Amino acid sequence: MLIFKLVYLIRGYVVISIDSNLEKTLNILRRKNISVWDVEKNEKGNKFKISYDDYVKHSDLIKEINDDVSKKGLIFKLNRMKFRKGFSIGLLISIICLFLLTSLIWQVEVVGTNQTNTNKIMRLLKENKINMPASLSKNDMQEIETLIYTDLDLFKFVEVYIEGSKLIIFVREKEAELTEIKSNEPSSIVSAKNAIVYKVIAKSGQPVVKEGDVVYEGQTLVMGIMQNISTEEFLTVPSDGTIYGKTYYNFEMKEEKVRNVNVATNKSKSVYYLNKNGNSIKIIGDKEPYENYNYRENIINLPIISKLTAITFLKATYYEEEIKEVEIDENTALNKMKVSMYDELLRRCSADSRVLKSTINHSEDSD
Amino acid sequence: MADELEIPNNALSDNFDLKMHGTKKVIIENHLGVTIYEDNIVTVKTNDSKITIKGSKFKIEEINNYNVIVKGNIKEIIFDKE
Repeated sequence: MLIFKLVYLIRGYVVISIDSNLEKTLNILRRKNISVWDVEKNEKGNKFKISYDDYVKHSDLIKEINDDVSKKGLIFKLNRMKFRKGFSIGLLISIICLFLLTSLIWQVEVVGTNQTNTNKIMRLLKENKINMPASLSKNDMQEIETLIYTDLDLFKFVEVYIEGSKLIIFVREKEAELTEIKSNEPSSIVSAKNAIVYKVIAKSGQPVVKEGDVVYEGQTLVMGIMQNISTEEFLTVPSDGTIYGKTYYNFEMKEEKVRNVNVATNKSKSVYYLNKNGNSIKIIGDKEPYENYNYRENIINLPIISKLTAITFLKATYYEEEIKEVEIDENTALNKMKVSMYDELLRRCSADSRVLKSTINHSEDSD
Repeated sequence: MADELEIPNNALSDNFDLKMHGTKKVIIENHLGVTIYEDNIVTVKTNDSKITIKGSKFKIEEINNYNVIVKGNIKEIIFDKE
């Protein structure tokens, strides 16, 4: 009955009021195959409802019964709107225009640099045909970031984001590299490690070691003195030079054969948050439902709503994991250890050194 | 005959069907019209009898060529053979 009434509410119905002979009227309508509902009989009078289609079909008969009819339903409301066609279209157009205009970017603001660099950024945008007003996607913003970072080479950090109808370009300038100022004070070069010298290049100062010498940590390699050729006097000078030497590192590492590995159990639980301007409110689900888990986040943007209100949904999923003890075979352990040892060796050596030879001896512990 | 052929009774006869939902609603199918409609009595004519429903706060919820639905506090239903 509710569906039936709802259909007639949309398609339209007519309320007919009559003073007398309700039974007779109902029977006449029944014979004409007109469906009647909500028949009311009280002191105020008699009322009933028929569909608008039936009313149109049998309008002469209804007029004979009574003229007091009131038309109701959505169709009549819409018909009334027809007379305000211009207003409706205007309202719709203004809503669309407002939406389109607010979704565009009208202004660019550069934060974190001086006016000269700001002008450079503006010029770069212009050269790359990025003119305001514009509609920019996330990819476009990333492209602008890359463009400013690579083309200008002035900034160590560039971030581009939208705030309302403004495009904010946030930059951090590169700091000027400090030049090494050599002091004029007399100095000597000493060995930092135990090594066998195999090449000596002394630019300034007197070398006191030669190829094949064994030197120890703290031993002087180049002394900060030079002899004046004409006066044969010894002068103290700042030393400068490069001494190459071979050194050896011996160290031990252990690799456990039994390792703890996190294994997914295929169970997961999700928590939903409502996000607005960085603040999130939990809606559904429990936080950290498992003891061991892998956590992933996914931001859900609602079309139009997220753009207008900056409200987004955050789906956080917890994937349950079990910690299992896994025994690895000897070859795998050896390979892993080789990599770890080589990394450790590189860590111990200085940046300008080179590994000439490396050997690994391994043995298995009985326990 | 309908019983013999195992088909619905109303397929072969003009008799009315009467359904009740508790004492609040009565649906009469295959009627011939309403003869009396008052707050405390409703009389519906059928092919071979007259059904009188007595009670209070009666309202005809729907009436068409096929059925009539009466709602209210039903106290009594009387069948008069014509």
